[in-house]
Amino acid sequence: MGLPAVCSVHAAASIHRGETKSMDQKKQIKAFVLENYLFTDDESALADGDSLIRDGIVDSTGMLELIGHLEETYAIKVENAEMIPANFDSIDSIAAFVARKSPA
Amino acid sequence: MIPLSSRIERIARVEPGRRAIAEGERRIDYGTLWAQARAFAAFLRASGIDAGDRVAVILPNCIEAVVACHGCWLAGAAIVPLNAQARARDIAPWLRHCAARCVVYQAGHRDSELALEAIAEPILRVATGTSGVDGASIAWADALAAAAPSAPVEYQASDLAMILYTSGTTGAPKGVMLSHANLAANVDSIVRYLELGKDDSIVSVLPFYYSYGASVLHTHLSVGAFLVIEANLVFPHLMVETMARERVSGFSGVPSTFLLLLNRVPLANYDLSSLRYLTQAGGAMAPATAQRLREALPQARLYIMYGQTEATARLAWMPPERLDEKPGAVGMPIDGVELVVRRENGQPADVMEVGEVHARGPNVMLGYWRNPEATAAVLQDGWLRTGDMGHFDADGFLYLAGRRSDMIKTGAHRVHPKDVEEAIAELPWIAEVAVVGVDDDTLGQVIKAFVVTDAEHRSNANAIKAHCRERLAAYKIPKFIEFVDALPKTASGKIRRTQLTATTEPREVS
Repeated sequence: MGLPAVCSVHAAASIHRGETKSMDQKKQIKAFVLENYLFTDDESALADGDSLIRDGIVDSTGMLELIGHLEETYAIKVENAEMIPANFDSIDSIAAFVARKSPA
Repeated sequence: MIPLSSRIERIARVEPGRRAIAEGERRIDYGTLWAQARAFAAFLRASGIDAGDRVAVILPNCIEAVVACHGCWLAGAAIVPLNAQARARDIAPWLRHCAARCVVYQAGHRDSELALEAIAEPILRVATGTSGVDGASIAWADALAAAAPSAPVEYQASDLAMILYTSGTTGAPKGVMLSHANLAANVDSIVRYLELGKDDSIVSVLPFYYSYGASVLHTHLSVGAFLVIEANLVFPHLMVETMARERVSGFSGVPSTFLLLLNRVPLANYDLSSLRYLTQAGGAMAPATAQRLREALPQARLYIMYGQTEATARLAWMPPERLDEKPGAVGMPIDGVELVVRRENGQPADVMEVGEVHARGPNVMLGYWRNPEATAAVLQDGWLRTGDMGHFDADGFLYLAGRRSDMIKTGAHRVHPKDVEEAIAELPWIAEVAVVGVDDDTLGQVIKAFVVTDAEHRSNANAIKAHCRERLAAYKIPKFIEFVDALPKTASGKIRRTQLTATTEPREVS
């Protein structure tokens, strides 16, 4: 009966690693947005749920740069159909999208 | 002259169920649009707004912005659509300058709220949106339900209908005053050459607070056409999906809009067979881009147009079938308008000789609101000095050759260098600053700031941009910042902007 326990320990470790990775990714993404669109390193300048589009933080050119950066940094390919506000409108939604697209 | 509101009334009476505007999932027909405009007018009158009073609107393109506009007119008031991307720093001076008695804004819009707090005089506040309406404001829905519709206020063709601000805080703001007759005349000319009818429909991305966006709105609604509002161009393919889904017959843009479509969207993958016309204004589009556009969308007729806010919107149009023959031309005068190119001494220039374009017609503004000096500088002997340089060819087609002013054209926006310079100069460590437009493949121009500062602050480009973000609309933030030892100046100490524009390649120094 020891095997399942070992497996669950591995699974928990894997989940933990996954969470850490996505937390790191989220921080990196936020740092990129702060630096390139808000010109600051002050994390309080942008809440993770703030709309980047409605608040005019990212325009059409900025969005293209952001998507290019994500593709390069996280080795993902963003399809045309995925380029929608639901995936890119906030730090939360971008981080969740990148986590979904990233290799496990 | 048939006022624009009367045209909506007629359509609403004959075909109340006819679709007028779509905004995301929201739709409104002409009957409801008219009923809401009457309700808003009744609210304004019941609230003590008198004929001739100014009602400011700080909204992105939305149904409420259109209802407020016609509601104002029915109440005899003038509408002042303010740039919803502007910051409180610009909004407050505009509100003060036009002495707005009522403001319609989006609940929770921070810059509107900051600007309203800065105004000492009492202002009737109407907040759109379903949440975040504070105690000082009346919710839009409550305003519409507040008073029983009353008879519209009679107004004259020459009465003030709209003020459009074309500059920010520098000196005295310039608010272009347009009369009901101005608006009606320009709409009539445009409807005629575009051959617009009630079966037309258009996707609109141009802000209603710019003359081009206002013109697209009013021309289409005045004939019973259907306007589909797209909030932004962040994802250009989504807009093309809307064009295909709604099977629109028209689309209007500035050169950068069309470049975005051509460069970012596989247009051939969409069924755009319903497109009948494309209109382009807001600066010169390269003939090569026009050619690409016509090849990508051969089913649509491309109308190159020219104008300015001081002329309501339009002054000239290019018949699509003459494009090949006259590449680079902005066309011939629209119906009712005379255009003359003049030398500096005021004499008419010869054919092919460059001079300043002057315009005369029923669409030329009344003047700048409470700014007689600025008015006198451009309205002379019944003519409007456009500030645009150009020449006519032997066939009477106008070609432009730049502007007399330093105004920067970036995308659909106009930016006065001084607005940006003043914001940057607020930083205590800036010794001198000059702002110019530099060429950009997509936007036409982008903003570049040349900054003189001490050695300690020479790597602070981001601090400058962050400060601009705080103080200016996003499109006014310099894309490039270059630190220099000194600015080139004339003997009298005036900055040589042309030298800065001409001798420097765009370069990121941050």
